[in-house]
Amino acid sequence: MSLLKEVGSLIQKDIILEWRSKYALNGILLYVVSTVFVCYQAFKSVDPTTWNVLFWIIMLFASVNAINKSFVQESQHRQLYYYTIAGPKAIILSKIGYNVLIMLLLSAIAFTAYAVIFGTPVGDLTLYLLAVVLGAVSFAAVFTMVSGIAAKAGNNSTLMAVLSFPIIIPLLIILIRLSKNAMLGLDWSVSYPELLVLAAINVITVTISLSLFPYLWRD
Amino acid sequence: MKKIILSFLLVINGLICSFAQTNAEVEMATDFRSSGKIYVVILVLAIILIGLAIYLFTIDRKITRLEKSRKA
Amino acid sequence: MTMKHYWWKILALLLLLYGIIAGLLGPVPALPIVHETIRNVYFHVPMWFTMFTLYLISVIYSIKYLSSNNPHHDLVAVESVNVGVIFCTFGLLTGMAWANFTWGAPWPNDPKLNGSAIATLMYLAYLVLRNALEEEQKRAKISAIYNVFAFPIMIVLMYILPKTTDSLHPGAGGNSGFGQFDLDGSMKAVLYPTAIGWILTGIWLMTLRFRIRKLEYQNHTVSE
Repeated sequence: MSLLKEVGSLIQKDIILEWRSKYALNGILLYVVSTVFVCYQAFKSVDPTTWNVLFWIIMLFASVNAINKSFVQESQHRQLYYYTIAGPKAIILSKIGYNVLIMLLLSAIAFTAYAVIFGTPVGDLTLYLLAVVLGAVSFAAVFTMVSGIAAKAGNNSTLMAVLSFPIIIPLLIILIRLSKNAMLGLDWSVSYPELLVLAAINVITVTISLSLFPYLWRD
Repeated sequence: MKKIILSFLLVINGLICSFAQTNAEVEMATDFRSSGKIYVVILVLAIILIGLAIYLFTIDRKITRLEKSRKA
Repeated sequence: MTMKHYWWKILALLLLLYGIIAGLLGPVPALPIVHETIRNVYFHVPMWFTMFTLYLISVIYSIKYLSSNNPHHDLVAVESVNVGVIFCTFGLLTGMAWANFTWGAPWPNDPKLNGSAIATLMYLAYLVLRNALEEEQKRAKISAIYNVFAFPIMIVLMYILPKTTDSLHPGAGGNSGFGQFDLDGSMKAVLYPTAIGWILTGIWLMTLRFRIRKLEYQNHTVSE
């Protein structure tokens, strides 16, 4: 079986499992909508800068919660089974791929709920949505590996936060800057450095995850 | 024409700025150095540094001794 | 041990002595706002150089550990981080003191400052992760993986992000580098030797801690 085929079938398996229980899906939906609603009750109306930052903070906590489960939900026996049928590279790639899908769904829900309740003071919606998509992908890339590490260290969700926040903060700073540019409707050329750094971070994290995961997987 | 005037103004501005910088005396501790008292500070710092270094060397020696006694 | 093994430690001491003498006596450009505090460059900046060198050693030994499984490599990695965190603390404290007198606040909103604070969190997280793991081999392996994973992001944080943002530090975000004030290179002639002196001192401290840990480790494995 080629690597791509393996990854494809593993993602498919994850989606089927999720579809059967709808545990993560409903959890995310409830989490995002209730957080947005609580923020609305607390703030009523916000100025654009706060609007932008608040959105990313909601995204941050929602995604930590969503991806935290990606390795935890697998029992020890099932993991052993995967070990016999698929290589570690296929497993980490499939996990990242699946988490990217989940994150895209999550950000779509979050952005819609947020925009409906708070309105959208955005100048350049295309660039803003691009920032959201890029943010979803980079969150997925970073959190997948960190959740793998945290899972090996005893499935501790505090540990997950401690390990992932220092790594995610630079991403968050760039994302907030990029989406602020989009909000102000600045020309795309202003945002090229941010886009470049984001792309570079994503490439780096995926490459490093690919080369490190085999060591993490082997027990 | 506009461009020439603009660049001319820029040059003037730059000249004024550079003059302003050289003219305004930035206060430095020249007295302290010329009176020779800065050497006292250097002496104090050097004593602290050398003391720390001697301390580190003794620790280093002690560890070396321990390593040797382990091997024996 | 003969003198042969001590030469670089003596070199470190001599370089630091040179740094104190030339750093306080040597000529510096007279600049507004900073005045004589420009001499802090000789003492504040080497802290960061040393921290970075130690983190670099740590990541190299983490990679080595992953391919060799030699517990000594893991000990070098963790002791490098331990000493690196100390130098990071010195860098932050000296920077805060200096900033308080020149920029008006101990914590101005500066990307370099925030970046190094977050990088500190990253290495504290590394130490927390080690404490969370009981079994020695597992601890060594998983923390090595985290170390290698976090290192490139620290580089982005401390060296690439500040360059694209407005900063109070020289050489970042449109500010001119400090080489512009240092026309005859007399400041570089003090800064670089001093930095090497501090880096050697940092490595020395790390090797001391590593040797103690190695002895403890040997005692531990023999007694079991």
